[in-house]
Amino acid sequence: MFEQIWQGIISGLAQGSVYALIAQGFFLTWVTTKSLNFGQGEFLMMGAMFGLSFFGYLGVAGLNPFLAGVLSIAAAVMLGLALERVAVRPVIHLASFSWVLSTVAVSIMLKNVAVLAWGPAEMKFPAYVSEKMIHISGAGIAPQELFCLVVSVATMLAFFLFLKRARLGKAMMAVANNAPAASVVGINPTYIMALAYALSSGLAGLGGILIAPITFAFAEMGALIVIKAFAAALAGGLDNPLGILLGGLIIGLVEQGATIISSDIRDLSIFVFVLILLAIRPTGLMGVKAIEKV
Amino acid sequence: MKKSERRFSLPIFADYTPFRFIGLAAAAVLIYLLPKIFADPFFILILQTIGFTYMAVLGLDFLVGFTGQKSLGHHGFFAIGGYTTVLLTTKLGWDFWWAFPIAIVFSAIAGLIMAVTAFRAKGPYIVMVTIAFGFVIEVTAHRWVALTHGPMGIFGIAKPYWFGSRLNATGYFYLIAYAALALTMITLNVLSSRVGRTLVAVRESEVAAGSLGINVYAWKTMAFVVSGIFAGIGGVFFAHQSSFINSESFPFSQSIMFLAAAILGGSGTVFGPLVGTVLLVLLPHIFAGLYKYYLFICGLILLLGIIFFNKGIVGSLANLKGFGWLNPKKPRLDMPAEKLTFDISVPNDRPLLEVTNLSRYFGGIKAVDGVDYELYPGCIYGLIGPNGSGKSTLVNVLSGVYQPTAGHVEFKGEIISGTKSHEMAVKGIARTFQTIRLFRHMTVLENIMVGFHIHMRRGFLGHMLRTKATVKEEERFMRLALALLTRLGMTDKADTLVENLPYGHQRLVEIGRALGTFPALLFLDEPAAGMNSYEIRDLREIILDLKAAGIPAIVVIEHRMDLVMNLCESITVLDFGQKIGQGTPSEVQRDTKVCTAYLGQAEA
Repeated sequence: MFEQIWQGIISGLAQGSVYALIAQGFFLTWVTTKSLNFGQGEFLMMGAMFGLSFFGYLGVAGLNPFLAGVLSIAAAVMLGLALERVAVRPVIHLASFSWVLSTVAVSIMLKNVAVLAWGPAEMKFPAYVSEKMIHISGAGIAPQELFCLVVSVATMLAFFLFLKRARLGKAMMAVANNAPAASVVGINPTYIMALAYALSSGLAGLGGILIAPITFAFAEMGALIVIKAFAAALAGGLDNPLGILLGGLIIGLVEQGATIISSDIRDLSIFVFVLILLAIRPTGLMGVKAIEKV
Repeated sequence: MKKSERRFSLPIFADYTPFRFIGLAAAAVLIYLLPKIFADPFFILILQTIGFTYMAVLGLDFLVGFTGQKSLGHHGFFAIGGYTTVLLTTKLGWDFWWAFPIAIVFSAIAGLIMAVTAFRAKGPYIVMVTIAFGFVIEVTAHRWVALTHGPMGIFGIAKPYWFGSRLNATGYFYLIAYAALALTMITLNVLSSRVGRTLVAVRESEVAAGSLGINVYAWKTMAFVVSGIFAGIGGVFFAHQSSFINSESFPFSQSIMFLAAAILGGSGTVFGPLVGTVLLVLLPHIFAGLYKYYLFICGLILLLGIIFFNKGIVGSLANLKGFGWLNPKKPRLDMPAEKLTFDISVPNDRPLLEVTNLSRYFGGIKAVDGVDYELYPGCIYGLIGPNGSGKSTLVNVLSGVYQPTAGHVEFKGEIISGTKSHEMAVKGIARTFQTIRLFRHMTVLENIMVGFHIHMRRGFLGHMLRTKATVKEEERFMRLALALLTRLGMTDKADTLVENLPYGHQRLVEIGRALGTFPALLFLDEPAAGMNSYEIRDLREIILDLKAAGIPAIVVIEHRMDLVMNLCESITVLDFGQKIGQGTPSEVQRDTKVCTAYLGQAEA
């Protein structure tokens, strides 16, 4: 039992860190454009698919797998820029909810493209680290999971630093706070919004190549992950990146904890958890409470 | 805001014109003819699918188009409706028509649960709540194998009986289509009346709706419940279409399709949900031959549709020449106005409002700090003080928007501190807002009509069936609204969208809307802000006229001293949350404390 819990915690944190990683993308586009990429899961999938190809080609050519990863993320970033230009910018001014559907429309197309290009089968993804289990006091831990956890958390820490310290990061937060005011001091909000989508898609792409060795790569792989990432973002608080990290890890732990009890309630646990959490705290764990000034 | 902004609201009150009956009859005949013209069994299946999908889309549009709430969890209602009748008929051997009402009840309960969990959530958080809700039901259906047989599914689902014989495919289509027609009529009746106005009001500003006595939570809950019932009924007809369902019959993609149909068709329009549904049901069949690329094509069409028809297909067409009939009908305004008198009785022997030691803190900030305040009927009061002195906070506490930290308030001899905003309106306290909170996408007349909310008695059922009493009530209040507008000198603006009005007029509409509650005490929070000196002169006349018309007490919170000093009989001065002076205009002007608060003190 103890080993099981120990293993569950590591798996939970690893999965949860990927949810959080993808959810940071939700944060970025939400605060800057008040829209979300509901097709984030397909961007994750495309990241994994590109990764598969690049690892294949480059592996044959004897090139560095690290380079393959960078190329896959770059491809996801390009897709994100295209998405913003084609499906978000034209509808973002509409008061209604059009961006949900336009991003979903793009994701449907991407899924089709993926099946056409890579086929519908589940494909094994090369592991970055040894596939041999590490045994710590009886508990078997997959090195891939540890790798996943470390890279995700490190990326997010770098991301937090970027938002706090880098000129561009500060410009993004300025647009998030008040786009017209930001444009008065010389920041181009349009450019920042495109950047938000680029970064958000890049994070999804990274999430894809991180999680693919654990879950395999296939056209449908993003469908459920994106919903869980969305749950993580809102459980943590959509406008608080630190809250999102926390939210992701908690969602991962809840999921694994439920799996230990019964695999039947695995997916159920997340949604019930989020429903209860949001009923009690309507802006998530660390989200800014909306106080309407009268 | 741009003028092209979509107008969701249906006409304020569309009466039963012959055209409506003709439309209804035409739809009924068309439904009857469809299976005769296209007798192909496959086509009849598609017609059935359009019918039950349309019900869910209609229900979703009730939510999206009118209350502004969004849902990506409606496949949950679809599943609840479907599983309820299927399980009751196959496992317990119930008759379909006994199981059907149970399905409605269960869908309503599910809608209630969704509403309660989504109560305080906003924007994307609501979306998450609805997604989670849908998934909980989907996953439960999948995993609770003992009940639903999960992916293995349930076989032998029969079509319902109709007068002793089992329905065939065509009969089943008729059942679905006429039920859908009935639901459409219900929706139109309900939404083009008080119910629709109230829902749109809640969407536009919850705070303003509350100040008029609308119980925001109750109305939102109602919208979720109705929406859930519609989708649940759709689910029932879906489940009995073929003889088999399993847990994969209700995927998340259904919810996305419902939302896509609602928005692509034209959310908040009469024909939008139908157009969207037909399109989305037919698309897969049109491109079925291109099996490999079909998802790509559907995605592309959806994307292009959303970009090019940015108000939905019907909403965008309505702007074109020759399609004007798609727009909501304008109300008739030529009816004789009712005589308007404010016959509001208040006790004369005691203060109307008695505030004792009232405080409201925000963290460490003492916005209102131990204020005593008395108001008597028959007087216009002024409430002044420098910026940040606590005037608005005081009004917010007295109108129930904020709850007091300490102290108590008596109104008409009854302790009312701690009462919620919408109950304050019923008790007789009305207000306007410092920053205008009109229902922007409604006309002037519609805004005023919402103001009558607490005096209108006919509810959902009455409007659903358009009973005679309901029609009478609507007409009576419409005449009253016109009379109120006459009093404000705005009769010619009755059919203008308020967002297109100049600032000064918007302020007047807000006053008119508050008057609709027939208040014993009316707070006007900076009514002159943004007005020029001519408009202020008119405003003064209007406020004096209101007193003459019988509004017992009016409190004007204002920075424009020319207005305050020439209008108010008694003035109270606040500074740093405390009362520093009270008296007639000339007394207040001579008060050294007041002068210091405004101008500072000369250095010694």
